[in-house]
Amino acid sequence: MACLKRKFDFLMPTTPEELEFRDRICFPMLAGAQNSDGGWGYRRGKQSATEPTAWALLALHSSADCNEFSSAMQHGKEWLLAAQLPDHSWPAFGEFPEGRWLTSLACLALRQYGESPIAIAAGAQWLCNEMPGDSALWRRALRALFAKRGVVRQNSALRGWSWTPGTSSWVEPTACALILLHRLYSGKVYPADAEKRRVLAEAMIYDRMCPGGGWNAGNSEVYGVAGEPLIGPTVWALIALQKYRQRSENQQGLKWLLSTREQIAGPGSLALANICFQVYGCEVPSIVPSLRRSYEENQFMGNVLVAAMCAIALNAPGEWLCWERGR
Amino acid sequence: MNARVTTLIPPHQRSISRVAIRRVASYQAELIAPMVETLREFDLPIRGKTILLKPNFVGPDPQNLINTHPAMVAAARESFLQLGAERVLLGDGPALDRDTEGIVESMHLREYVGPLGQCFVDLNLDAARKTVLRTNASTLKHLYFPETVLGADLVVSMPRMKTHHWAGVTLSLKNMFGVVPGNCYGWPKNILHWAGINKSLLDINSTVRPDFAIVDGIVGMEGNGPTQGTAKPCGVIVMGDDPVAVDCTCARIMGLLPERIEYLTQAALLLGHLKEEKIQQIGESIAEVLTPFEVLDNFKKLKGPAGSIGS
Repeated sequence: MACLKRKFDFLMPTTPEELEFRDRICFPMLAGAQNSDGGWGYRRGKQSATEPTAWALLALHSSADCNEFSSAMQHGKEWLLAAQLPDHSWPAFGEFPEGRWLTSLACLALRQYGESPIAIAAGAQWLCNEMPGDSALWRRALRALFAKRGVVRQNSALRGWSWTPGTSSWVEPTACALILLHRLYSGKVYPADAEKRRVLAEAMIYDRMCPGGGWNAGNSEVYGVAGEPLIGPTVWALIALQKYRQRSENQQGLKWLLSTREQIAGPGSLALANICFQVYGCEVPSIVPSLRRSYEENQFMGNVLVAAMCAIALNAPGEWLCWERGR
Repeated sequence: MNARVTTLIPPHQRSISRVAIRRVASYQAELIAPMVETLREFDLPIRGKTILLKPNFVGPDPQNLINTHPAMVAAARESFLQLGAERVLLGDGPALDRDTEGIVESMHLREYVGPLGQCFVDLNLDAARKTVLRTNASTLKHLYFPETVLGADLVVSMPRMKTHHWAGVTLSLKNMFGVVPGNCYGWPKNILHWAGINKSLLDINSTVRPDFAIVDGIVGMEGNGPTQGTAKPCGVIVMGDDPVAVDCTCARIMGLLPERIEYLTQAALLLGHLKEEKIQQIGESIAEVLTPFEVLDNFKKLKGPAGSIGS
């Protein structure tokens, strides 16, 4: 398999300490967790699933020596392609019957390898056809007539993407779909109806911002009480909206993330926050000492997603995460 | 792999339930002895078994005000081990925050129970198996459940005694929302909200009903629970093998009428006793530990008329 040449230079230099942790801890953990069917489970030895397989592929793609993992990556891609459902979405697990939000993640992973444009195009089209249940006109009318006032503050005319088909829009699946759309923009596989969805989804994420800055799953205010932001949704929202990095909402979110950095207790969140800081060009101290301590204490609880996120965070973010560099 | 089968019994065919109320002043007090003593009274099949403790870990909690207190979790684990359990696992699938390791580290759980890799299962990321629901109130018909839950010999729900801004209260039945895996249903598990919280609660508990409940009421939460309320010292641990009766007892301790909590009335049709006369109290009486909790305005109806318990 030909290794793709990276298009972008590193935003910030990666230190030997970071590369060493990535190469000695993260990549071996990922390589050791791959199942014989080519996919990855959330933990070693568990059933192969779309999300950890996509994350492992994205992480391994960031390795300097593609040859070392070429076989693992090839088998992983094959598992991912085989897992695509007849309606072109991706399920949570291989035998899961219906598509999920993580169709966007599967497309991103395949797109990173520059292969399978037909599968990606079909997956992206499935996403664009997938409407969250809360945005239906009749539901909005019913809610306007009967919903209790002041319970939740949000504009339900703005739609993004849901975790499961036919339910409400939430920040993380919406952000992930937006990242895919940005990745496909200007290419042949950009769905014709994607632009309208993109505009609405971006507005939805801004609408759901917590009053003090940052994002949680999607409830910015309940019963008049401001929602409390969380690391993961804030990172994904900021990455998806990086085109508008100068907007006050982005700056508020980034400020909250920076102020929270030292209290982050989980390695997965720490890695995600670090990716976001790199995307936004914020210089922060190395996360390696914290990751090392965390690994020694809990071995990331065997979580493949955490190993993959750490591997990605210890490299410069790939173009799938950072498309507005230098602006 | 065990196949958990919940027996659905209407109240008129169900024998009297027993619920233990133990007074415990603080998390620094002796917790293991009262738990072991109470577990012995219930004569559960513990020896040689795999026990899953399902605490309520909602989000990061450095002050230990939101989640089931780690001292309670550690004490329960030690109690089951002392009574001969072969394995005691801890597991939860937080509903809103994907960073489960961050949550348990923020509350210093490892300092209480040792290395988490050996005993903690993130139920959001566990392998899951399609399971037909024993009731169909929600019309979901089936859900995927974690294999750790389906394979445990005994599932112990360990909530914190709290009010809840959607459901009224969150106790041992509501705590079982956390066994629905996020990797199938997202964060939050929004499909359950769409199907109706109360109906989903009935379907989940009719299928994976906890075998025992240990409610952390040493310091509860009142007002805008489950995460933004106010700490409410209550000084009790409530335990029993009928989760409906345990939850109804807790509601009464909180000064709330369980007859007005929709999911408890539905659960009482098949899963346990709601009526006070069908519940035998062990230890303290409700009146001795009654601690009225504040609720949001839309749940004032749970308080009952003036003169009723806790009003």
